[in-house]
Amino acid sequence: MATSDLGSVANRLFDSFLAPLVLGGEVTPGRPIGARAALAIGRERVVADSALFDQVQIARTRVARRLAPVDRMQGATEAEWALGAALHDLIQAAHPAFDAAFRRRAPGRILDLAEATVARVPAPQSIGESLSRQTWFARVFELQRTDTVVRWWVGSRTFLGESPPARLSAWPELRRVQVDKTSRAVMDLPGAGGAVDATRFGAVLGLWLAKTPLTDLATCHRPLPAFAWRSESLGLVATGPGRVLAARALAWAPKGAADAALGRATRALVAGRSWKAATAALDLLAERALVDAELAEPDKLESPGWARNDASDDAGYARCAGALVACSQLRSAAAPFSDADRDELLARLLPVASSPLARAVQAELSSLG
Amino acid sequence: MLERIALHQTRLRTPGLGLDAKGVALGAKGLVLLPSIDRLVALLAVYTREHSLEDLMPSLEIHLVRSKLGTREITFVFAAESSDRMDRVAETARLVGGFTFTGTSRHFVQYRDVGAPFGYDSGQLLVTDSAFALYHDRFTQTYDEGKSVDLRALLLRLMLHVDPRTVAELGPRFLVAEKGLGPALIHYLVRSRVDGEVTVGEWPPASAFDEGPVQRYIVKVPDLPKRMHALMRLTPGITTFLPVGPGVAVEIAYRHAVQLRACPVFDPNGLVLLRGRGDEPWALERLPQMGDLRAFARVELRGEDTRSVTIATKTGEPPPVRVPLRVMPSTAPWRNVTATWIPVDRIALLRKLAYALPHQSISRTTIAVTARGAFLRCPDGVEAIPLGTFFVEIHPGLYVPAGYEVAPAVSPEVLYRALGALASQMIFVTTDATALAVDAAAFVPLETALLEAGAFEPVVADAIESVLATAPVELKLTALGAFPLRGAEPPEPLAALTPGDAPPPEQEA
Repeated sequence: MATSDLGSVANRLFDSFLAPLVLGGEVTPGRPIGARAALAIGRERVVADSALFDQVQIARTRVARRLAPVDRMQGATEAEWALGAALHDLIQAAHPAFDAAFRRRAPGRILDLAEATVARVPAPQSIGESLSRQTWFARVFELQRTDTVVRWWVGSRTFLGESPPARLSAWPELRRVQVDKTSRAVMDLPGAGGAVDATRFGAVLGLWLAKTPLTDLATCHRPLPAFAWRSESLGLVATGPGRVLAARALAWAPKGAADAALGRATRALVAGRSWKAATAALDLLAERALVDAELAEPDKLESPGWARNDASDDAGYARCAGALVACSQLRSAAAPFSDADRDELLARLLPVASSPLARAVQAELSSLG
Repeated sequence: MLERIALHQTRLRTPGLGLDAKGVALGAKGLVLLPSIDRLVALLAVYTREHSLEDLMPSLEIHLVRSKLGTREITFVFAAESSDRMDRVAETARLVGGFTFTGTSRHFVQYRDVGAPFGYDSGQLLVTDSAFALYHDRFTQTYDEGKSVDLRALLLRLMLHVDPRTVAELGPRFLVAEKGLGPALIHYLVRSRVDGEVTVGEWPPASAFDEGPVQRYIVKVPDLPKRMHALMRLTPGITTFLPVGPGVAVEIAYRHAVQLRACPVFDPNGLVLLRGRGDEPWALERLPQMGDLRAFARVELRGEDTRSVTIATKTGEPPPVRVPLRVMPSTAPWRNVTATWIPVDRIALLRKLAYALPHQSISRTTIAVTARGAFLRCPDGVEAIPLGTFFVEIHPGLYVPAGYEVAPAVSPEVLYRALGALASQMIFVTTDATALAVDAAAFVPLETALLEAGAFEPVVADAIESVLATAPVELKLTALGAFPLRGAEPPEPLAALTPGDAPPPEQEA
């Protein structure tokens, strides 16, 4: 593909997709970009619309400052351009226009291209890189398509992601016009007019999320694709700063749903006897347990709902496992707490760490050796 | 001649004498021998203080008896029934100096006492035709029966005792008024709102010199007011009686020697009025029909020359009784001064004063600017703004000028309803009684109304707004064209992004 073509594709990608994804507004993806262009599009790329670029940079800084005291963000890297293009293609794979004759195989090819693109994007090599990717794609699950059904006295028409023409809404009283609008989330797109396989769509989206682990963790409470610990996200939380950043990102998520997602994913690691990976995940849970012990009301920690005895309670699993590891860390000499703080935290954590569910979790962890 | 009855003794010589369940010798009758009539009265007085004669009355006989020596004594004979009744009577008789006997027909032996708990039996019976043969450990005597004594007649003959304590007793009264006093007494009682019933009793003339039967008004008053006690007692011709039992009443300030309530000898349907000073009682064998006092009140008719009835020629709605509202100066202290009305020509002064007002006053005050001026309200008191006419809130949403009051002096609720204001309106009644209604929504905080907003740079505000706004991310689809996958190519076989690639080029704004 010629360089001029890449420039126009990059401008289209930035103006109509990446910028609205960060700033909000109408995201209007175009033709699928493809893997080759996606991997080449970010090479020494300069955005043409500098004013829009400035707005995007300010918005990215605001997103970053929710997690870390950052004053300035760098422009998009090649990997971020590639991830943006892959996400663009992924969204377009669910385009309802492909649900037509001679076109139904196209979504599969687009998913192949997106998967190939994602596979060639390396994992973030630093905390800053993870944070940078998060600033681009933090709102990916806020993306919504509005489907509109216009009914009038002799017929109806459905507009998927398009605004109905004004003529259809004219004379609403006389023509008895009724307009019904339905919002579709990203994972609902395949089932709402798309011809793409929903399972494969979720799988590729999961692979894409793995390349931006902070986004993956921050949106772990999403229904689909279900959060699972991957090497990228484990690599992030294995370091102290990465764990703090992840804990801050998780603090913006709903507490119960985030605990359930983390508990379910950690339980899968423990069941798979991935001890090293489980240790990193448990450290994150311990970090969250310590935050809860410091901030939550003591009676809330002792309430039955905080750590139910139900073995299928993933949130309770996460809290109990976190409390167990946190108690163990507090008892160790290396814990950076004063004696008074350590005693107080232990007193708050012990009711959770001594619950029946916690004992079951401890037995499960002990079996790992 | 008497022998003490021993424990478990079964055989007795005295005819008609037997042993009851307790082993006490008991005949069918009991007999009390009393030496005189005053002892009999004493017996009745003492016995009726604690017990009723009702159970004795069916079998009671009182006789004057005479012994062989000619002495006259009194026998009080009654059915023995049980040793309990005999014990009660014997105890009372012992107190008044009488002797108690028991027997059945003629022979009566001494009733038991402390010396013989089971009683006595006669060792040798007298052969006599006398009515009574009484065997006592001190004497044995026969008596012939004399005339009978009627208990009712005895009670009516007894002189009443003076007892001023009854004057103050509360409860119903019988007022007996001579014929000439009756109508005046009834009118007085009716006028004094005293409930009661009245009837007229007729008695035979006291002497042959009287012209005819004597009529007296008998008024039964359930609750005679205390203030009338003395009047009724001291007025000549009016006698007050205090009911002491069914069918019998005793004159006020007197007391009968016997508790008449325990003596059922008077007909409850009749009325016996026992008078003091030794006067004969007034008795009515059957109390006549009594009528309500008010039915006997004085009746007066209008003159015959006047029309009997005036018939209305037209009916209609009553004319409204309404008077215009006035606002009058009042000397009452000022309270709850929470509003002021500043005329239009003085609003400029408010502008100048605004610079001197404290923050507390400005923040708590609300203002409504109308064509009639500015109305200011402050729930903590509006005195801090010394302008205009002060108003007092006399009702939620209703204000009158401070130092004034409305006339007629109706309650604030009535005035508020009469003005017919909506709940969302504040009513200000001015000194000339004009009501001004200001919509509550028109009141805005004074601090926002005072300050004249200066121009600001909208560009800066827009920039801040656009940066801080977070619009939702809305996916809009466009047509993909005839060849949507044109240009979408797979990656080159060995193409891959290297980890930690070069930082992006710096971009100038």
